Amino acid sequence: MKKLVLACILALVVPGAEAIDFGSLVGKAIDTGRQLQEANHEFTRDEEIALGDGLAAGFLGAAPLRKDPELQRYVNRVGKWLALHSGRPDLPWTFGVVDTETVNAFAMPGGTVLITYGLVRRLSSESELAGALAHEIAHVVKKHQLQAIQSDRSSQAFADLGKGLASEAIARRGNDPVGLKSWGASAGVELLKNGVFLRPLDRSMEYEADKLGVVIAARSGYDPYGLVAVLEMLAQTKSDGSGLSVLDTHPAPADRLAELEPLMPAVEREVSKPQQLEARFRKVVAP
Amino acid sequence: MRYRALAILLLAALAAVARADEQAFTNRATELKERAAPDSATLASLPENSSVKVLARGGGWTRVEAGGKSGWVNVFHLRFPATVEASSSSSSGLASLGSALGFGAKTEQARLATTGIRGLSTEDVKNASPDPEALARMQSYRADRPAAERFAREAKLAEAHVEDPTAKGSAK
Repeated sequence: MKKLVLACILALVVPGAEAIDFGSLVGKAIDTGRQLQEANHEFTRDEEIALGDGLAAGFLGAAPLRKDPELQRYVNRVGKWLALHSGRPDLPWTFGVVDTETVNAFAMPGGTVLITYGLVRRLSSESELAGALAHEIAHVVKKHQLQAIQSDRSSQAFADLGKGLASEAIARRGNDPVGLKSWGASAGVELLKNGVFLRPLDRSMEYEADKLGVVIAARSGYDPYGLVAVLEMLAQTKSDGSGLSVLDTHPAPADRLAELEPLMPAVEREVSKPQQLEARFRKVVAP
Repeated sequence: MRYRALAILLLAALAAVARADEQAFTNRATELKERAAPDSATLASLPENSSVKVLARGGGWTRVEAGGKSGWVNVFHLRFPATVEASSSSSSGLASLGSALGFGAKTEQARLATTGIRGLSTEDVKNASPDPEALARMQSYRADRPAAERFAREAKLAEAHVEDPTAKGSAK
């Protein structure tokens, strides 16, 4: 709280600052900062998107976007089609392939999904890609990452979120009056730096994302066994020892397969002519 | 153009063969079926831990060769040999420290053995400088609803109504 007050005082002595209505801006920022520190705070859609953008920008600083526009557009079409069959079709869904050999995919709050080229090149069909992306979409729909961030009371992350918002709010004007974008950027970087965002999610969240992911893929017309095939492939893949491999951050593939098995007969009954689309996938991803 | 399409198909077929040529074991007593369907004829009974060679995958069934016969086994009745050697989550405290400092011999060896290229580490992400330009470029590749719907129609992706199994009762 001391830091928050200090940030406000510092902002007040910035030259040229008199043009801003500090009374309402600072009050709003402090209110939001306080709310964000509460574990049961319900993030607004805009807060969620701003935070996700900040996390994604930070992540892209470590793993560059793969320079392959055809692949990037392809993954966005598959991802958007899937997202339209999720519980949150209207988020600004964005999918990106990042250039690293590490095998994993990451969902950011607000609808950004990053998938590594190390994972993409190990897949063999569009239905497998759909399975992997749908698992990440399910995390966003269920707000798993937001819950994990909020439940992390041991870290300074939440206090920093409030502090960041308060100071950025004062620095910003124009079309972003409460500084949401710059708050998102600083909060995202903070959550990457202190490692909160990189920690594995609860196992139950991963199993839930697998189940909902299979359902989203099936609703979209894909072979619901796409994710099952990905998990089989992962069962044979070695971790690269980076700490960020899917094998480091998720339950063992065999456990995930065992959790999915009881769901499959019911899903299979609902789909007609499910597609794997190997040829379309191979036009974009060389074997 | 026809040749290109043919070449792509050929490559895809080769890739399928390459990936399918794997060893697996049955994780329970199961049956080798003639076709990929539960009501198809049983070619052989396979006890738990039978060794099979994976030939191809299709939906909920995996085509395998077992005891000189080839047929189909339920996809969930197979387990694959664990090949994970050194991951940071299973390594000792000392090795983790080494890994964090960037010179964990065991970890480095595992990285090279797997890919030959260094992967992304937790430290890389923690220490990265944000790249807002890359974020903007990524967002420029977004697909809108009409583009996604056109893309689905091209492949005759048929929508289906499937209930969300995680929506009922507990959130598990």
